[in-house]
Amino acid sequence: MTVKRQLSMVLDLNKCIGCHTCSAACKLMWTNRNGREFMYWNNVESQPGKGYPRDYENMGGGFDAEGALRLGRQPSQEDYGIPWEYNYEDALMTGTDPWLRPNVKPTWGANWDEDEGEGDYPNSYYFYLPRLCNHCANPACLAACTRNAIYKRQEDGIVLVDQERCRGYRYCVNACPYKKIYFNEQISKSEKCIFCYPRIEKGLPTACAQQCVGRIRWIGYRDDEEGPIHKLVEKYKVALPLHAEWGTQPNVFYVPPLSPPKFGENGEQLAESRIPLSYLESLFGPRTGEVLDTLQAARQAKAHGEGSELMDILIGYKHAEMFKLS
Amino acid sequence: MTSKPIANGPLVNRISRFKGLITLVACMAASPYALADHSDRNPNVSEVKAWDTVKVSRIPDGIYLRTENDPDDLIWDRLPKYRTNLLPAPPVHQSVGLRFEEGSTRGKHVYFQVARSDERLYLRMHWKDPTEDRATTVDKFGDGVAVQFALNDADTSYMMGSGHENPVNIWYWRAGAPAVENLAAGGYGSTTRLPKQSVHGGSAYFTSDVPEKREWQVVMSRPFESDGEHEVNFDRETVPMGFAIWQGSDNERDGNKRVTHTWILLDTRLDNDN
Repeated sequence: MTVKRQLSMVLDLNKCIGCHTCSAACKLMWTNRNGREFMYWNNVESQPGKGYPRDYENMGGGFDAEGALRLGRQPSQEDYGIPWEYNYEDALMTGTDPWLRPNVKPTWGANWDEDEGEGDYPNSYYFYLPRLCNHCANPACLAACTRNAIYKRQEDGIVLVDQERCRGYRYCVNACPYKKIYFNEQISKSEKCIFCYPRIEKGLPTACAQQCVGRIRWIGYRDDEEGPIHKLVEKYKVALPLHAEWGTQPNVFYVPPLSPPKFGENGEQLAESRIPLSYLESLFGPRTGEVLDTLQAARQAKAHGEGSELMDILIGYKHAEMFKLS
Repeated sequence: MTSKPIANGPLVNRISRFKGLITLVACMAASPYALADHSDRNPNVSEVKAWDTVKVSRIPDGIYLRTENDPDDLIWDRLPKYRTNLLPAPPVHQSVGLRFEEGSTRGKHVYFQVARSDERLYLRMHWKDPTEDRATTVDKFGDGVAVQFALNDADTSYMMGSGHENPVNIWYWRAGAPAVENLAAGGYGSTTRLPKQSVHGGSAYFTSDVPEKREWQVVMSRPFESDGEHEVNFDRETVPMGFAIWQGSDNERDGNKRVTHTWILLDTRLDNDN
């Protein structure tokens, strides 16, 4: 789907500390009310892990090799996690309930498996993967909608749901392999990340990027050769889409995480990295190893006092350079 | 009550006497959908097929339903009832096609009654449904029924109308929804809620220990006079009409439904109008 310009985001997973400030910013701005309580338009998951909604990577959706939509499994409320609230008033103020307790029995949630990861000491590993709508160039949600209720804005490629046209059929929820479009039971319509377009239109970055304490997010237009996106994705080729094999052509890219070496039986350092390359490749594709080598070389150069434009970009000295919104 | 005799009326009588083998043979002879499941068919109710005409019944002056859209009112026992077989709608979008059972013959009999007073037109439908699906949640779909009327003549596509020139007016009920929706469409994908919601409705689910006996009953009604550009005008000789049913437990929504293929013609004139 061709648009005049495409806004895009790059996230450096080497810098994400898993603080969830992005999710909190997004939730406070958009999803803490009106039937959206269970939704995380932006979430941060520990990987390896089941993700959010639970096991979304095995739910299907996206496109097959021929470009036809693939049928998926509809996530249940339980897969998202049923939001709970505490009886603060009764337990802490009036004292009518001796216990502070949740109003539902929590059995799963967006970060239920946080920091679990995989592997055994001393080779256990995990990293954080923040996820939002990829504002894909070939959105499966858009292709699946029988009502033409989903559209991609010409001026910036942001994918939006026309709430007037949506009739709540949920084909989009099923079709998005990233499960980044949600059904609001209160209004019987689907809703999703809007890339904070009211902020973008005022020249401001998305709330998740603005608030990120690790400064892991860059925002800009794909065609802006002086901007950070073009440099990270096209020039240095260190930012990769998540699960490109699903065929939706995401416009959110990730700088894959480097990791320290694995330890051998006698405590010696092995040649392989703690996070298995094969695992990273299963997320970010076959170029991951090459990207990690580039990053390693740039890091070395910077450490040795040599200049590295790539490292200077990735350090993210100034917000003004990280967000190029014109 | 029909201006055209029902094609297989005698056949229906025979079926009621010699069920079993004869039923199967008769079905195969009478229907191109030979293997369709007809377990919800009541042979004692006249079957209406595409292009048959059904005449509206009169609700005499001074007779009122207990409530405006009471699906269980005594009056329904005294008005003629018809049934028609709904078959899977042809898929018109990839999303529908993905969920379409290839070669599906799953029919569904909807029973219906059409009645009018001087002021109002009533439509009552009931159909067997072993599961009461009221909830519309992230992974659950509600049961639904709709009737569509062609605003113009029967050249209009039964697949939700044909463009701006030949639209349809749709009355759509969904279990758990607050009201019947008054919609219009000019081809699939164009369904639009009308500014004036003049169609009212009532529904009830009748449960039973025997799952096969459980059923939905839905009544929809509207002032006889149409009001608005896309509201069907009943004040004409025949009105093309078609039904659709969505089975929530089968995740049916949108084009995943069973429908009348082509049209049933509704004659809305009362005898003293002629």
